Amino acid sequence: MSTPAVTIERAPRRPWYRREMSAGSFAFVMNVPTLLCLGLVLGYPVIYAAYLSVHRVGLGQLRSGVFAFNGWDNYSRVLEDPLFWIALKNTGIFTVVTVGSEIVLAVLIALLINQAGIWTSRITRFLILLPYAIPPICNGLIWSFLYSFQFGFLNRILFSAGLIDNPINWAGNPDTALYAVTVPYIWRTLPFAIILVHAALQGIPRELYEQAAIDGASAWRRFRHITLPMLQQIIAIILILRTAFAFAVFEEILAITQGGPGDATWVAAWYSYKITFSPPNNFGMGSASAFILTLMIAAIALVYMRFIYRRVTL
Amino acid sequence: MFKTTPTVRLLLHVANLTVIVFILLPLVAVFIGSIQSERALQADTRRVLPLEFTLDNFTIILTKGQQRGRIFDQATYLPDNIKSFYTAFMNSMIVACSVTFLTLLFGSLSAYTIARQRFRWTLFLMQANIVARFVPVIVLMIPLYVVMRSVGQLNSLSGVIIAETGFLLPYAILILAPYFDTIPGELEEAARIDGCTRLGAFFHIILPLATPALAACGVIMFIISWHELLIPLILNARPDFMTLPVVIASLVGDVHVFFNLMMAICLLALAPTVVLVALLQKFIVEGLSAGAVKG
Repeated sequence: MSTPAVTIERAPRRPWYRREMSAGSFAFVMNVPTLLCLGLVLGYPVIYAAYLSVHRVGLGQLRSGVFAFNGWDNYSRVLEDPLFWIALKNTGIFTVVTVGSEIVLAVLIALLINQAGIWTSRITRFLILLPYAIPPICNGLIWSFLYSFQFGFLNRILFSAGLIDNPINWAGNPDTALYAVTVPYIWRTLPFAIILVHAALQGIPRELYEQAAIDGASAWRRFRHITLPMLQQIIAIILILRTAFAFAVFEEILAITQGGPGDATWVAAWYSYKITFSPPNNFGMGSASAFILTLMIAAIALVYMRFIYRRVTL
Repeated sequence: MFKTTPTVRLLLHVANLTVIVFILLPLVAVFIGSIQSERALQADTRRVLPLEFTLDNFTIILTKGQQRGRIFDQATYLPDNIKSFYTAFMNSMIVACSVTFLTLLFGSLSAYTIARQRFRWTLFLMQANIVARFVPVIVLMIPLYVVMRSVGQLNSLSGVIIAETGFLLPYAILILAPYFDTIPGELEEAARIDGCTRLGAFFHIILPLATPALAACGVIMFIISWHELLIPLILNARPDFMTLPVVIASLVGDVHVFFNLMMAICLLALAPTVVLVALLQKFIVEGLSAGAVKG
């Protein structure tokens, strides 16, 4: 007797569009839009900015579409421009003042709104996010109204309170203008820092404080030896994020001082903007100066990734 | 947690009051500035509250300069951009909604795979996103202007939408990725055993669960793109395509525009995002901390 051959029927191969993707190709397909966006809107322009920065590009060249290579000429012209160094110095002062005050204020205010037993703290907590809603350009204009020498709201309040006899020229005085523009910037960006610190405060175990209270530690010692060390990481995060963003401040400068009085509030982003988009429209030099700014921020970003965002592996 | 003495309580109340005054000061200023006339502001430079209130500043903006009211009766010059308030408002709305939709769509696709599929290149993509978040707008704008000019995309809303989507996408991914990571993987494994494809499992199982994260990310994206000035300022010079921040920025150098009118248009421009923040505070707080800390 011979056994009949058994043929096992295989399932017909599904057409490619009905087939299940492998994990790898699925991940790739899901990321195509992101890769396109990153490449076209971030990667390519940064490389193109580097390209423009070593070519002679003005309005005439833009029209003809021919950019002549001129080596490091744009960079040397930027680096020889005293205004660029003033802008860098102003950016540095602006960043140190804003980031420094923001961290101190954020810790203080986060502790303040954390007081459950104080009813006014609840009002503060409710209002704390409000500045985040204000468009930067509106914020700038509102503060230019506050600061106005003749008609300013701040001077009006101080007159009414009897604190001053003569109007103060807050943003028009070269010595104070740079500090005057830091206040609106701090006002607008503080909520971000407060929220991060406040979130971190919720993560500190209560037992630590209870233990410290049993040991009879004073409020200052509890802050110094429990709260502050536990906040270290979040403070570092705020420090780096805010430094990078304060380096590129633009809207408040545009609205309040436009770089003035004189060159007192020229900052790096304003320098690149003015060089590029106001006559004589030197796109090459503008790119070169913007690229220098980017390299400085890139250094900050690398520090952030290397030392702080270590949990990047999720 | 700890007993506070009356003195400490008083000091804390004073501190709260100071913070509240600091937060509200600019908002009070913009409100009071917008409801009085130029003449009232000039007549007495030491008064906080004006003697008479008027809504003329709003009327003239909202009627495209048709109804001038008493304040602007004799005004011979009005900036054209004031008259295009509705156009600018709609442009801002179109841009902000499109950018929010696109960043949420692309961002969730990407953040989900980064959280789930651990390949070397997805890890690299996440790191690229972290670095990309730092790229300053100004360095993008110069080449983008040159490129958009050469491909004829200057003065169009789509150019602005593309640029803002690309610029904000890394941040959206940073906000979304940690949330997708907290959704247990068993869920889509079960779905896949039941015959769901990977994409089906993502859309039918994971995405509905991620609604809170999508809301948090979406509202932050909307706010940032509603606020964005530099991208539309450089790409769009024609009034038809200006967004609200650009219209407002165009008033800055205009010596004929007085503070009252500026404050009125500022108040109208900041109202939508203030409403959003007041209603969706909880989501924004979660999104902001997710995007900065967890990764």
